[in-house]
Amino acid sequence: MKAIFIAYNQAHTEKVEFVLDTLEIRGFTQWSTVMGRGSVDGEPRMGTHTWPEQNSAMLIIIEDSKVDAVLDAVRKLDKINEEVGIRAFVWNIEQSM
Amino acid sequence: MSIYGSSVKKPITTLMIFIAVIVFGLYSVSRLPVDLYPEIEFPAITVLTTYPGASAQDIEINVTEPIEDALNVVDDLKEITSTSRDNLSIVTLEFEFETDLSEAANNVRDAISTVDRTLPEEVDDPIIFKFNTSMFPIQMFAITADQSYEGLEKILEEKLINPLNRVDGIGSIQVIGAPKREVAIELDPRRLEAYNMTVEQIGNILAAENMNLPTGNIEMGMIDYPLRVEGEFKSSDFIRDIVIGNINGQAIYLKDVATVRDSIRDMTMDEKINSKNGVRMMVMKQSGANTVKISKELNERMAELKKSLPSDVEVSVIFDSSDFISGSINNLSQTLIFALIFVVLVVLFFLGRWRATFIIILTIPISLIVSFIYLQISGNSINIISLSALSIAIGMVVDDAIVVLENITKHIERGSSPREAAIYATNEVWLAVIVTTLTVVAVFFPMTMITGLTGVMFRQLGWIVTITVTTSTLVAITLTPMLSSRLLRLRTKKKQPGRFSYDRTILPWLDKLDNFYERTLSWSLYHKKVIILGSAAILVGSIFLASGLQTEFMPQSDEGRFTIAIELKSGTSVDQSIEIARKVDQILWDNFPEIDLIATSAGADDQGSFMSMFMATGSNVINYNVRLIDQKERERSVWDIEEAVRTELAKIPEITDYTVQSGNSGMMGGNNVEVEIYGYDINLTTRLANQLADSIRTIAGAREVSISREDEKPELRVELDREKLAANGLNTAMVSTALYNRVEGLTATKYRETGEEYDVIIRFKEEFRNSITDIENISLQNSFGQFVKLGELGEVVEYYSPPNIERKRRERLVKVSATPYKISLGVLAEQIQQKINQVELPREVMVEVGGAYEDQQEGFMDLGLLLVLSLVLVYLVMASQFESLKMPFIIMFSIPFAFSGVILALFITNTTLSIIAALGAVMLIGIVVKNAIVLVDYINLMRDRGYELDKAITLSGKSRLRPVLMTAFTTVLGMLPLALSTGDGSEIWSPMGISVIGGLIASTIITMVIVPVVYKLFATRGERDKQKEVRAQFSFLND
Repeated sequence: MKAIFIAYNQAHTEKVEFVLDTLEIRGFTQWSTVMGRGSVDGEPRMGTHTWPEQNSAMLIIIEDSKVDAVLDAVRKLDKINEEVGIRAFVWNIEQSM
Repeated sequence: MSIYGSSVKKPITTLMIFIAVIVFGLYSVSRLPVDLYPEIEFPAITVLTTYPGASAQDIEINVTEPIEDALNVVDDLKEITSTSRDNLSIVTLEFEFETDLSEAANNVRDAISTVDRTLPEEVDDPIIFKFNTSMFPIQMFAITADQSYEGLEKILEEKLINPLNRVDGIGSIQVIGAPKREVAIELDPRRLEAYNMTVEQIGNILAAENMNLPTGNIEMGMIDYPLRVEGEFKSSDFIRDIVIGNINGQAIYLKDVATVRDSIRDMTMDEKINSKNGVRMMVMKQSGANTVKISKELNERMAELKKSLPSDVEVSVIFDSSDFISGSINNLSQTLIFALIFVVLVVLFFLGRWRATFIIILTIPISLIVSFIYLQISGNSINIISLSALSIAIGMVVDDAIVVLENITKHIERGSSPREAAIYATNEVWLAVIVTTLTVVAVFFPMTMITGLTGVMFRQLGWIVTITVTTSTLVAITLTPMLSSRLLRLRTKKKQPGRFSYDRTILPWLDKLDNFYERTLSWSLYHKKVIILGSAAILVGSIFLASGLQTEFMPQSDEGRFTIAIELKSGTSVDQSIEIARKVDQILWDNFPEIDLIATSAGADDQGSFMSMFMATGSNVINYNVRLIDQKERERSVWDIEEAVRTELAKIPEITDYTVQSGNSGMMGGNNVEVEIYGYDINLTTRLANQLADSIRTIAGAREVSISREDEKPELRVELDREKLAANGLNTAMVSTALYNRVEGLTATKYRETGEEYDVIIRFKEEFRNSITDIENISLQNSFGQFVKLGELGEVVEYYSPPNIERKRRERLVKVSATPYKISLGVLAEQIQQKINQVELPREVMVEVGGAYEDQQEGFMDLGLLLVLSLVLVYLVMASQFESLKMPFIIMFSIPFAFSGVILALFITNTTLSIIAALGAVMLIGIVVKNAIVLVDYINLMRDRGYELDKAITLSGKSRLRPVLMTAFTTVLGMLPLALSTGDGSEIWSPMGISVIGGLIASTIITMVIVPVVYKLFATRGERDKQKEVRAQFSFLND
């Protein structure tokens, strides 16, 4: 089991949901509004007057075999326009119930 | 769910809501009345009281003063004015705005009823009219007839006036110059004396003969017969054969002592329409009623009623003031359509996309339609002010939609689906859009709170702009994202755009413009001193120019008609007046091809005291109503023609005084300066008035200098010797009644024919009552049955007395008025004030300058106050918006320059500064402040995002250039047809167009150059520095 944390511009919301459905990933946890800033050159997403855009975040816990497909889809999604921004981070799940 | 989210997700609901708004709006538009201005007349009630035979002074003391005293306590009363003239007292009450006229009329009626009993007995019941006598009739008809001329009064009364009076909003309909039928019995006093009879005896006999009386019932067998005596005159011929007495057994018939005539009353007035016999019919509206609506209904009824008139009676229109109003509004609506087309073109030019343009343009009709709903609900009308407000608002309502749409487009181009882009892009900007709208509202909302005459106009403007701008914001965050999500799509960038495509024609130019501006801005930022000094010079220069500007309250408009009042020497007979009238008619027809119709009336209608409420009448007065051909078909304006008429009239030696004035249907007061001289002593004030009038006449631009108190006219007074009266057992009342019966005539009885009654009047033959000797020779019967000559009881002396006494605020006054020609009202008033200062005033006299000039002063005062209020409010809103005390100053720097532009434009086009031009200038504040706010806000944003000051300024300037230019272009182009328009009413709004265009061009340049420079001067520290300040306190890392 792996956990994937996807942080993305709100404008990607429908596409991210589409990716999960296509890959038949059912379970997810979503934060519809989160703030953040890219480590290299990503524009701040603060929801303020200065930086009006906002991010959403998605946490999905999936089988190891699906991880590559998800990352691949995220990469493709990011390629549409890098300004918009989407990032995914994967780590291990020790236990679950 | 947010409002924009819902509207994107429920497109049908959104669409339905807006369709509902449009349907409701269209319904309102169809129901809205049309008028020239918002309702700016004070509600007024006129109380008319007649006291036959009393002189002006008697009327003043016995009728006017008691009525004024009684009415002075009526609620909501603003001002009370009165005119007392021979036979007639006119008291006019002006009420505060928005007073319910019917309620006021009831209060007036109550107050009158308390005073009614104390008035002299001969006084007729006061009549209450719901209109102001200083207002012009809204329509005037000329009615000519051939065979039916003698019966015209009855025909008109029955077939026209009564049915027309039922039209809602009509104050009164009056016929002037109609022939009246009467049975006149003209006595020969010598014969009367020979038979030892008096006028009163004959009167009693006639009254006793002309009678039908039921005298009881008689029962004969089974039947009950009512018994009646029938003595009423069967025909008027019958009267002459009535036996009035007998001497030595011989019957004396009426025809032995008198001639009996059944015909029309002696005319003391001559009415000619285009030199044909006829009468005039004036229609007055109730104060506050809508002219166009009444006229429309009136004309419809008229068309129907005309059919029932005898075939020789012809009705033609002398003037219809609703024509001018409808013409003006149509004219203005056309320019509004042009403005709309220009906005579409400008938006298309800058955006270069059809669908985007469509979405943005849709905001305009919706916002405008909502303001129509407001007009309908608040009981307002479509008028010049509301339409002008709309034409200015057109340029502002697209702004919000553009901001939203641009952001959505940005997201779509970054690869989002239109649906997502619509929601998230709107989310990013909706708050900013609302805040800018709030600032615009802050400028315009205070206007809704002004009171007074200026308030009436500005309130409507304030509401309309507030409502349209608010609606446009609502549309921008609901309908715009919804439509964007449906209609916009990602455009694939063509590698090779077509030769004539937008990308290869207009876009490069716009890019060049951006770059040019960027360079200009950078240059300005490095040459702050040059810019600041230059703009200070412009400001000082324009203030200097402003002092040379001419001012007036309302621009005067050419309505294609004017009136002439000609006064001949006091005491001139009617016949003489008629002769002069024919001469003037001829001069007018010969010299002025522009004239379409002339209605002349010479002399005074003896019963038509109603006329004297509106114009001076008298046997020596000739009144003209002149209608000109269409403005487009003539070269001379109505003022030039008036001036030419004046020079023609000045050549006629018989004319002692004349006034030539253009009628103004829009408002009362007109365009004049009135010097009000208050004082009780009539001789003193008249002398002072003449002195002032003479010195005012020396002012170059003063025309129509006239004194409201008419020339004293000769009058004969009978001064009775009381001792001689007593010796004869007579008193003053008995003598004056007897005299009245012999000269004016005793109404003995009524002659009835086909249900109508005509007076039977007995008096002396004219040849026995037209010289002082005749009067002295009139014999009266004393209480011992003997005849005494009036000459034995006293003497007849010639006197001069004022024919009218005017009062205001219950004090006597004389008004000296002057109309400006080719100079402004303000300048004229100033010069008149100088003349007044030169005159030494007696202590008991008070002089005030009033008239339209007073309104103007009040108007500009209100406007100044409004300006201050707006500025304070704008500052408050902006200070809280920017959370800064100095940012608002940067923005407000742009306001004076907008006014510089206005002043310059008015100066170049030689337009006077009127309330309407000032209206345009105030509207500018909104546009200018909005542009400046958005720019400063963007610079702040860029600073926050970490750009260096200069870079932030140039970047923001460059990105704001197109939206600012768009607003400027849409508004300037929208105003251009207004400024250039000719035709009905264009004089009223072209000053507004001129001032907005001038102000906007100037302020756009200023906003884009001076605001950034001032920003640089003020904003030495940005947001980042604030953060540094906070962080400087965090020293824990260094511990």
